Amino acid sequence: MNTTALIHVVDDDESLRNALLRLLAAAGFEARGYASTGDFLLHPRTDRPGCLLLDVRLPGPSGLDLQAALQQQGITLPVIFLTGYADVNSCVRAMKAGAVDFLAKPVTRDTLFDALRRALAVDALQRSARDEARQLRAAFASLTPREREVFDRIVAGRLNKQIADELAISERTVKAERAQCMAKLKVSSAAELGRLAERRQQLSGE
Amino acid sequence: MTTNLRRRSNSAMRTALPPTPLRLVCPWVVAAALALVGLQAASAAETRNVLVLYANSRLLPANIKLDHGLRETIRTSADRPVALFDEFLDVPRFGGQAYARTVTTYLRDKYATRPPAVIVVGNQEALSFVLENRAALFPEVPVVFMSAPKSFLRSIPALPADVFGVPIKYDISSTIDQALRWHPRARRLVFVTGTGVWDRGWEGWLQAEVPGFKDRATVEFLAGMPTAALLKRLGELGGDSVVFTPGYFKDGDGRNFTPRESAEAMASAATAPVYGPFDTFIGSGIVGGRMPNYAAMGRQAGEIVNALLDGAAPAALRLPEIMPTTLNVDWRQVRRWGIDETAIPGDAIVHFREPGLWEEHHNELIAGAIVFLLQAALIAWLLFERRHRRLAEQANQKQRFELAHASRLAVVGELTGSIAHEINQPLGAILSNADAAELMLESAADRRGELREILADIRRDDLRASEVIRRLRLLLTRHEAERQAFDLNDVVIEMATLLRSEVQRRGMSLDIQTAPTSATLVGDRIQVQQVLINLVLNAMDAVADLPENRRTILVSVSSRADAIAIAVSDRGHGIAPEYLPQIFDSFFTTKPQGMGLGLSIARTIVEAHGGRLHAENPPGGGALFRIEWPATDAKAKSSAETE
Repeated sequence: MNTTALIHVVDDDESLRNALLRLLAAAGFEARGYASTGDFLLHPRTDRPGCLLLDVRLPGPSGLDLQAALQQQGITLPVIFLTGYADVNSCVRAMKAGAVDFLAKPVTRDTLFDALRRALAVDALQRSARDEARQLRAAFASLTPREREVFDRIVAGRLNKQIADELAISERTVKAERAQCMAKLKVSSAAELGRLAERRQQLSGE
Repeated sequence: MTTNLRRRSNSAMRTALPPTPLRLVCPWVVAAALALVGLQAASAAETRNVLVLYANSRLLPANIKLDHGLRETIRTSADRPVALFDEFLDVPRFGGQAYARTVTTYLRDKYATRPPAVIVVGNQEALSFVLENRAALFPEVPVVFMSAPKSFLRSIPALPADVFGVPIKYDISSTIDQALRWHPRARRLVFVTGTGVWDRGWEGWLQAEVPGFKDRATVEFLAGMPTAALLKRLGELGGDSVVFTPGYFKDGDGRNFTPRESAEAMASAATAPVYGPFDTFIGSGIVGGRMPNYAAMGRQAGEIVNALLDGAAPAALRLPEIMPTTLNVDWRQVRRWGIDETAIPGDAIVHFREPGLWEEHHNELIAGAIVFLLQAALIAWLLFERRHRRLAEQANQKQRFELAHASRLAVVGELTGSIAHEINQPLGAILSNADAAELMLESAADRRGELREILADIRRDDLRASEVIRRLRLLLTRHEAERQAFDLNDVVIEMATLLRSEVQRRGMSLDIQTAPTSATLVGDRIQVQQVLINLVLNAMDAVADLPENRRTILVSVSSRADAIAIAVSDRGHGIAPEYLPQIFDSFFTTKPQGMGLGLSIARTIVEAHGGRLHAENPPGGGALFRIEWPATDAKAKSSAETE
């Protein structure tokens, strides 16, 4: 899998789009251009890291509409807005919806690259969080129901004896299940197990 | 009138009053007696006769004037009828004892049936005749004389008590005195007389005046010369002479004249000013003189006759000692001889003075002046009004122009977002291209091909941005209103270009239908474009809330033989019927942010271009704004071509 970042440029103005692509290429970015929202959506999506450089005003659905649609689909590609005329309403709406930046044309190289770097960083962050969550989900998925029951009670701070009482099993069985759980989740202490539970809650909450 | 009275009095005489010795002897005593006993009715019918006896011929100017004065003064009426009879002795052509006897007999017999109550005599010869023949000629009848010189009266025996009148005096010396003052260069005084008896008499009087002027001028007598020789002599006199003449009845050749005729001949021949003693000479060409007035003499005698007929006793009459004289002067001669106007005494009677325009027509002149002044005032007022109105019109036009401009600014303000977008797009492209180029140059590789492409793109985008700015400037600049021919199709296309970005921003579509042929209008292209932008923006507001498939605006140009038109239609809800009559009014708006000026200004502009703007809700739905101009196409085209 290609893990170099791919920057998606959506702007109906061919000249501007080409200039941006040219600049990005010269700066060593890999970029791809689209003339409209629909053009972008029709294009087969890759799982490559990257970000979206999006014009607010587009023929048909606007950049803001695209941002909303992507969010609905759970696509977390970071968005940088580029606009010819920054009206306050669009800006507020875009930032509330989580845009990385809202840039006014004409945009200087440094400003653009700075925003791009931040967007890519956000993307990388989102990506690693997503990987971690996936790994956690897989680890948790490998637990037996009994192990899950024991794990839940351990992170809730129960003692082995209390767990044995609640589950009506022997304290020894509890200990065995606990060792099995820690092995599957690749942790070596109960404290670590607690942090893991916390992390899982965070990731699933996001 | 006089004849009427006579006829009546004649019949009265025949029927009621046959002549009696008593009446013949003393008619006015009878009249007085009748008045005393109060027999008014009887006396009313009794006509009194006045016999007027002139010495000379009927047409002597002096006689005519005397007659005039008499007739104008002697009163006659139904209850006091007076009849005037005129007789002429025709001296100097007739004379002598036999003639006198014949005339006496003639008059006595002629007037036997109409005995005079008063006899009036004109001139000294007539007075002499009556005095000499009185015994045979109504001896008891009082005699009133006219025109008898005092010097003559002094030369005859004292008059009887019933012969009287006011004598005259020929003021020769003061006339000559005046003449010498008016002609200061005069060194010679020329007297002219004739050969008749009357003429000789005058010669004597003039001789008597000579000593008074001896030291001031040399005196020359031209007495009794043949007229031809006389006139020749007078023609040779020159500017240093003054002539005085009473005229003459008979010249050196024995030819007869009236004095006036002779004076007239002398005045026209003389190269020196001529003066005379008679006011009858005035107008004959003499300058003038201090003279008794013949008409006044006639009037004076008439007064006396009136008094006698009213029963006054001759002794009781209070008469002036002498007839007054006045200085008469002929204005034309004053001019001819260059007499100083200021030297004419104020009491002088100036004859034939051409009345100045002012003297003759002063009422008309005043009226004319008033009319002229009123007219001038009216014209001034109208001019003032016109200027006032023109200034107001100019102010009005300027205001309309300012308002149109302000409205354009407002429109552009509304389009700010789109315009910024349109400019920033190419600017963004340029900046990015420049940045890219810079990065490429930093890398070692030879990327000339790419750099060339970048430069071409930069150039293109730059032109794109400046084109947007150019269009904007056209719209924003406060240019003077122009009158040029342009094609409405071009205006619509340009408008669409300007609004493209805005239309896109609002997610709408703007369809343009141009006319297949040109639709030429003469006027201000920018203002017409402004109207179009206004209408399209309004339409866009009208469809803003509609589903996408209805957010369409159609602008179409049509060019027919009789009219050219632009229609802007949308598929919105149309104009509420209650608003239709008001939408073009100033400050009428349905928009929360609107000023309500757009449509009012649009209509003003269209009408200033000779067109009509109206709105309607067409059957198919939506609203339709239609601008229509009568086709001036052919004319506009040809004028555009000649430009």
